[in-house]
Amino acid sequence: MTDRPDIASDTGDDWLDAALRGDGLAHRAEYVDDDGFTARVMAGLPAPATLPAWRKPVLALLWAAAGIGVAVALPGAATDVMREIVRVFVHPVSTAQIAAGVAMLGAATWAAAALALRQD
Amino acid sequence: MPPVSDAELIARVVVVDDRHAFSELVRRHQSAVRATLRRLTAGNHALADDLAQDTFMLAYRNIKSFRQEARFSTWLYRIATNAFLADARRRKEELIGDRTEQLPDESSDDAGPQDGTESDHAAGTGLRIDMERAMAVLTEGERAAIVQCYHNDLSHEEAAWVLNCPVGTVKTHILRAKQKLKARLGAWAPE
Repeated sequence: MTDRPDIASDTGDDWLDAALRGDGLAHRAEYVDDDGFTARVMAGLPAPATLPAWRKPVLALLWAAAGIGVAVALPGAATDVMREIVRVFVHPVSTAQIAAGVAMLGAATWAAAALALRQD
Repeated sequence: MPPVSDAELIARVVVVDDRHAFSELVRRHQSAVRATLRRLTAGNHALADDLAQDTFMLAYRNIKSFRQEARFSTWLYRIATNAFLADARRRKEELIGDRTEQLPDESSDDAGPQDGTESDHAAGTGLRIDMERAMAVLTEGERAAIVQCYHNDLSHEEAAWVLNCPVGTVKTHILRAKQKLKARLGAWAPE
């Protein structure tokens, strides 16, 4: 404490100040046994917030709807993608292209795994 | 492994609602909070424990608002003191009435040293008992100021933050409290 001694000297009650300090020391040395107190507090806390079971299917539907929406909004995009896929598989590909494909597939797998294993 | 700091436990509670982290915080601070409330309630252990439980519930609900501007223990003292003062307002007559009935008369021999032949330890214990009884005559604000400054060893500035009042008010509370305690405990004053 910063200015407690001034108060004591102001009122001329140093003995009382000393008694209060002694009482404070005894108070701080005292330990109150837990005796189930922490358990009672924890039992009284509100239940943890849990995500509803329908959340994931609804999210999947929303993503699918969004994908369809994009496909509809960009006419010709789906055809272009299919044409490129056919081109890749029909025409011979180089080693560099295979390596790039493997790397992209790995990255996609890693991202999907991270998404699936994340904690909600 | 070093013990996890309060700040880290608080962060776990805030970020992922870690109940184990919060129970560790309760375990660490329950003794200080309950002891403080026992002083504030002038020895009413049942009431003190009820208020301590309310204190930790409120701390859990509001832990996101804890900004580390004070120690976590000081923040808990603030919540506990507010809970005590709110409760005291509700049951003021009952609290003061009950305790006043148990107080010895000022002229009673109980309010001073028992016997010159008693040991210092016994005298110290007697003074502490008389001190606890005398604390009951203080107003809630006076008692809270004494408890925060002397029992919890807070500075006047910290006590003012805990009591949510100006520093000058804390000093006034302490001055008045000491005048009352001096009158009650006059028999313990040196000749």
